[in-house]
Amino acid sequence: MRIGFEIHVQLKTESKLFCPCPTNYWEAEPNSNVCPVCLGLPGSKPHPVNEESIRKALMVALSLGMEVKPKILFLRKHYFYPDLPSGYQRTSTPLAVNGRLGKVRIREIHVEEDPGRYDLKEGLVDFNRSGVSLIEIVTEPDMTSVEEAETFLKDLHLLLTYLGVILNPSVVFRVDANISLEGGERVEIKNINSIESVKKALRYEILRQKRLLESGRGVKRETRHWDEARGVTVSLRVKETEEDYRYMPDPDIPPVSIDPSLVEELRSSLPELPWERKERFVREYGVDRTVADALVRDKALGEFFEEKAGEISPKFWAEFLTSRLKGELNYRGLDFSAVPSKEGVFLIAKAWHDGRITKEAAVELLRKLLDGEIGDVSAEIEKFSVVENVEDVVREVVEAFPEVVEDYRKGKKAAINRLVGEVMKRTRGRADARRVRELLEKLLS
Amino acid sequence: MRELVKELKSGELLPSEHLEEVIEKIEEREPRLNAFISLDVEGARERAKELDKLVRSGRASGLLFGLVLAVKDNIAVEGMRLTCASRMLENYVSPFSATAVERLVREGAIVIGKTNMDEFACGSSGETSYFGPTRNPWDEERVPGGSSSGSAVAVAAGMSDLSLGSDTGGSIRNPASFTGVFGFKPTYNLVSRYGLVDLAMSLDVIGPFSPDADGIALSMEVMAGPDGRDAGVQRSLSFLETFDAFDPEGVRVGWGEGFLEGVEEPVRRHFERFLNVLDSIGAELVELRVPPMEKVWPLYYLIMYPEFASAMQRYNGLTYGLRGEGSNLYEVIADARGKGFGREVKRRIILGTYLSMERYEKSFHERGVKLRRGLRAEVKKLFEEVDFLTSPTVPFLPFRLGERLDDPVKMYAADALTVLANLTGIPAINVPFGREGRLPVGMQLMGRWFEDDRLVAMARFLEGRG
Repeated sequence: MRIGFEIHVQLKTESKLFCPCPTNYWEAEPNSNVCPVCLGLPGSKPHPVNEESIRKALMVALSLGMEVKPKILFLRKHYFYPDLPSGYQRTSTPLAVNGRLGKVRIREIHVEEDPGRYDLKEGLVDFNRSGVSLIEIVTEPDMTSVEEAETFLKDLHLLLTYLGVILNPSVVFRVDANISLEGGERVEIKNINSIESVKKALRYEILRQKRLLESGRGVKRETRHWDEARGVTVSLRVKETEEDYRYMPDPDIPPVSIDPSLVEELRSSLPELPWERKERFVREYGVDRTVADALVRDKALGEFFEEKAGEISPKFWAEFLTSRLKGELNYRGLDFSAVPSKEGVFLIAKAWHDGRITKEAAVELLRKLLDGEIGDVSAEIEKFSVVENVEDVVREVVEAFPEVVEDYRKGKKAAINRLVGEVMKRTRGRADARRVRELLEKLLS
Repeated sequence: MRELVKELKSGELLPSEHLEEVIEKIEEREPRLNAFISLDVEGARERAKELDKLVRSGRASGLLFGLVLAVKDNIAVEGMRLTCASRMLENYVSPFSATAVERLVREGAIVIGKTNMDEFACGSSGETSYFGPTRNPWDEERVPGGSSSGSAVAVAAGMSDLSLGSDTGGSIRNPASFTGVFGFKPTYNLVSRYGLVDLAMSLDVIGPFSPDADGIALSMEVMAGPDGRDAGVQRSLSFLETFDAFDPEGVRVGWGEGFLEGVEEPVRRHFERFLNVLDSIGAELVELRVPPMEKVWPLYYLIMYPEFASAMQRYNGLTYGLRGEGSNLYEVIADARGKGFGREVKRRIILGTYLSMERYEKSFHERGVKLRRGLRAEVKKLFEEVDFLTSPTVPFLPFRLGERLDDPVKMYAADALTVLANLTGIPAINVPFGREGRLPVGMQLMGRWFEDDRLVAMARFLEGRG
C-alpha cells in the first residue's frame, strides 16, 4: 500500500496574495473583505505578489530541508465554479523541491490563491476567502499504513504550528490523498478537511479497493470525493474524463525572483523546530525522551515547562505536566490552552514537590482547578497543606475505633484501610496516606 | 492641445463653454456615427461648472484642465457602465476607475462618455459591437477601423478633445489611420492596465487618440508610470520635456520590403511619399531586411486566442453580467455565454481553448511564447541600426461596412502591419498622412522599448506634412 498527500495550508498573512484585502474571512461579514481584484471584476489586475506569503512559504520549505527555486511563475488553472470569480485559480510553479519529514519525502511546495466559499444549498458565495494565500505541500507516496499517514500529518501540523504560519487554527489542513494497493491503480480522494477524516477516508478506501481487487474487478485510476456526512468516497471522474485545466503562465504577473539573501536570512532565523526542542529538553533538563516528546507535541505546554523549569526540579515538573496534567486534560477532552490558571498548575506542582501537600491533595487540587472550582490557588493549597500533628490524629483514631483495631489484631489485615481512611478524613486529605499507614502499623504491632 | 488648455485655464474660453461646443458636435454627428455607448452629458456639465469656478477664483490647475475625454468602453470609469460592447455586460456598472482614467481626471479632464468598439475588442472594423457598428466620419458608408472605433471617431469628428483606446494587435493605430488622427500604442507595461478589460494580457496596452502629436505627449505624460495596482508597470518617462527638446536631424529611420507585402497600391504610394518627407526633415533612411509581416502575424493568433479564452473565463454570468438559465452549473454557464457573446468572440474563445489545451504535446500558446522571444531578439537587432522603424499602418484604405465581416482572414489582414509592435512590446504611433480622395491614410512609426517619448516627439515633425 502506498499513500501520498497534497496538503493545502492557508498562510498567516495580513493581506491576500494579490490584493490588500484582510484575510480573516471566517469572522468577517460575508463579502466584506473583498475588492475588484479578489472578486475578479472586469478590468481588475493582480497587485504585486504579497511578500509575506512568499516568506512564510519559504519558512515551511526550509524547515522541511527543501531546495529553493530561484524563480517562480504564477500559472492560471482554468475551470468554472461559482466560488472562482475569474474562472481560473492562480497557482505557482514549485517554490521548493526535495524535502523530508520523518520517513516521508516531500516532492514540492507551491503557492496558490484560495477560492471563495460556495454554499451549495443556499446557492450563495462568500468571497471573503477568495485570494487568501495557500501553500500546497505535495508528498511522495511514502506512507504504507493509515498509522504512518496519521503520524506524518500530526508531525506536519506540529511543524506548521511551531513556524507560526497557520492562518486559521480551526481549519489547518485541506487534504487530497492518493492511495494505491498492490495490484490496483492510484485513486485520488479530494476534499478531506481534518486528520480524523483522513483516517476515516483512507480506511474506507482501503476496504473498498481490497474488495474490488479480491473480486477480481480491479481498481482503475480515478478521482473520488470524500463525503464527510456519509463517511464514504464517491467517484468524481475517471482518467479518460480528467479535466484539461489549460495551465498557462499568468501574463499579468511578472516572474517572482527568490532573493538568495532572503532565503539565507530566513534559514538563519527559523524558530526552534519541534524535534530540535525535544533534543534540547533531553540534553538541558535531563528529562526522558518520551516525556520530552510529549512536552513538545503541545507547543504551549513545552513553553510553559521551560518557563518554570528553573524554579522546580525539571524532571519532576516535566512528569507532572505530561502525566498528571495531561491525564486530567485528556479525561476532560481539553488541551493546555483551556487551563484556567497556568500559574495555579505550577503552584500545585511546586507545593507537592516541596512536600507541603500530599500527592492526593495535589491531584484533587488540580481537578478542582480544571473544573473551575478554585479562585485563589494559594489559599486552597494552604487548606490542604500537610498536617504537622498526624501522629496525634492517628492516636485519636485508634482510640475511637477499638473494634476495628481488635479486628486488625485478630489478623484481619484489611481492617487497617478503614483506619487510614478515617485519618485521611479527619485531616481532610492533607496527610500522606502511606505515612499514615506506617504509623498505624507501628502503633498496633 | 496645450494651447487649448492654456485658453481654458485663463478664462478666455470657459470649460463649460468649450464643453457646450463639443456637445453640439455630438448632437450633430452622433446619431449617424454611433461612436458612443454611454454619454454622461449632465455629469460632464456639472464637472465643467466646477472647473469654471476654479478659473474664476484663479485656481485652475492640471495638465489637462477642461479637456473633454472619451473613454473606450472596455476601460473602467467609476459609476459608468462598462459594457465592452457586449450583451454579456450590457448593464454592468464599474465600481472603480482605471488608473489611466483616474490620472487624466485628476489633471482636469472631463469624461463625456464611453465609446463604441468591437465586442471585447475583437475586430478591426468597429462592426462587431452589440450596440451596432460605428461609421467613418469621412465616409459614413465605410468602417472607421477598430477595435477602438468610437474613440477614434470621437476625436476625428470633434466629439471629444482626447480619447482613450486599447491596442492588442493594432486596435488604436488601425482606427486612427482610418479616421485621420494620431493614435499611440505605448511600450507594454508603461501605462498601468488596471481597469482595462483584458483581451490578451501579454499584448494589451491603453493608449491615447488626439488630433495632434502634442495631445499624445500631454496625455502620456500623465498616464505613464507605476501605480502599484499593475504588477508589471515599473518605469516612467518625461514626455513633454523630450517633446519640446527633440531634433529629428540625423535620426535613423528603417524600413523594408517585408513591411510592404500585401500593402495595396494607394497606400504604398503614400508610404513612398512619407519616406520622402522623412528625408526632408533630416532623417536618414535605412533600408533593412525586416521580418516579413505575413509570417509574423500568424504568431499573433497563437498568443492572442489562448489568452483571450483565459480572460473570458470570468464572464459566465455567475457573479455578474448576463445571467444564464439551466438545470445544472454547466447549462447555466453555457446559456449565459451563448446568449451573451457575439460570433467573433465565440470564434476566438473556441480557438483559444483548443490552442491552450494540455492534451497536445505542448500547448500552442507555449510554442507561440517561444517564437515571440525569437522575434523580439530579431527586432532588437534592427534597433541597433536605426532609431525608428516605419511602415504603413494598415495595408489598405477603409472598406465598406459589412464587406469583410464574414471573412475573418480578410478582416485579420488589417492587423498585418500593427501586430509586430504588440508581439515585441515596442511603442508605435499612427501619423495621419494625407488622403486618398476623402479617405484618410495613416503611416506608422515604431520605436525602441521605453523610448516612447522620442517616438511621439518625432511624430510631431511629420504632423500636417501629408
